[in-house]
Amino acid sequence: MKEKELMVKVEKVNKFYKKLHVLRDIDLEVHKGEVVVLIGSSGSGKTTLLRCINHLETIDSGCIYVDGEPIGCWVDENGVTRRDPERILNQKRSRIGMVFQRFNLFAHMTVLENVMLALTTVQKTPKEKAKEIAIQQLRHVGLENKMAAYPSRLSGGQQQRVAIARSLAMEPKLMLFDEPTSALDPELVGEVLETMTNLAREGMTMIVVTHEMGFAREVGKRILFLHDGVILEEGTPEEMLNRPKTERAKAFLSKVL
Amino acid sequence: MTLEITAIALAIGLFIGLIAGLCKMSKSKAFSTPAIFYVELFRNTPELVQLIWIYYCLPILFGLQMVAITSCILALGLNAGGYLAEVFRAGIQAVDKGQIEAARALGLSHYQTLQKITLPLAIRTMLPPFVNQSIALLKNSSLVSVLGVADLTYRAQTVSTMTFRPIEVFTAAAVLYFILCTILSYVARFSEKRLVAYR
Repeated sequence: MKEKELMVKVEKVNKFYKKLHVLRDIDLEVHKGEVVVLIGSSGSGKTTLLRCINHLETIDSGCIYVDGEPIGCWVDENGVTRRDPERILNQKRSRIGMVFQRFNLFAHMTVLENVMLALTTVQKTPKEKAKEIAIQQLRHVGLENKMAAYPSRLSGGQQQRVAIARSLAMEPKLMLFDEPTSALDPELVGEVLETMTNLAREGMTMIVVTHEMGFAREVGKRILFLHDGVILEEGTPEEMLNRPKTERAKAFLSKVL
Repeated sequence: MTLEITAIALAIGLFIGLIAGLCKMSKSKAFSTPAIFYVELFRNTPELVQLIWIYYCLPILFGLQMVAITSCILALGLNAGGYLAEVFRAGIQAVDKGQIEAARALGLSHYQTLQKITLPLAIRTMLPPFVNQSIALLKNSSLVSVLGVADLTYRAQTVSTMTFRPIEVFTAAAVLYFILCTILSYVARFSEKRLVAYR
């Protein structure tokens, strides 16, 4: 029963960039509906860990499961490493939402087309139905009136909300956020965090890399502090932000708080 | 005739260029090496030599007998393909990696990403060099007159020898080339404006 409640399971994951050991034996479990916040200085591996979860980066050893299914590769009972064929991997990926620091909206498509694209191409949803879903998702993030606009006409905050709607249209089981507010002007951060907070309230499972400690405190169920590719410390926001145990976490938090 | 040759050769060039450009970017040497060889071969030999070689040598070497116009179109198309391969490669490599990643993260396959995201975005940056190449091709098509294909230049030569008026005839031919090329660049500028409307 406990297995069933798990959304993400990361088992002894190692990742190298050439000789640089960026993730060292990472173990992580995220339950359904849980919001986990990853913090740590740059180069600590938090973004890499996030990217490994939907296989944008390959891992060198270990295994990652999302909703009980291995992502990308796994080791079978005979100890042989198996890889997902591309078609299967794409299907799995389409149910893992990813929001990037630099929004990455498709510049040559309108807001509506951005949200519809994966529905029509990956899930083969008929156009009319896809449009309906897309409009609904845009309403969800409060941008239905920007439907016909191109991304370049929107503010950074609006672009990021469209990016969130684009992911939500695929009915993801899990949402990954990679510093979603780091590229935004300070006055635009609020609207994106608000959208994310609403999403968390609706019960979405989320893993968030962020420097927004206010968000981490209010919305996060758990905070993980990464350092040199290791989860050095973890705890509830209250424990982590007020009484960090390790010196490194103390030093990091004193800089960002 | 000039326009027909240019259009068909351009179509061939685009097709081969896209494939060669993609192969050149491939991580696998089996794809990239032949593509590099092809591009270098056609970029580093004169068009006229390629034309003559394909017309005279190909039949001897492979017993492949072609009418002059076919070999002309083939030669010009292969030549344009060599240049266009580079245009495609540069255009595709200039596409923002983030948008490609976003498409992959949404579950689009390699091919779907290329078709829906990478190529449409790349075309915007490729348009100016692409027009250059079309204009070059239109002008290079005058070379086919050497093989007796009745294009604009060949006709001009015939008329000039019949009328003994080389100045008027060749000036008229030059003006015609000029007008054709100018129209081409205007069409390109217009379509570029429409394509980048999103900026």
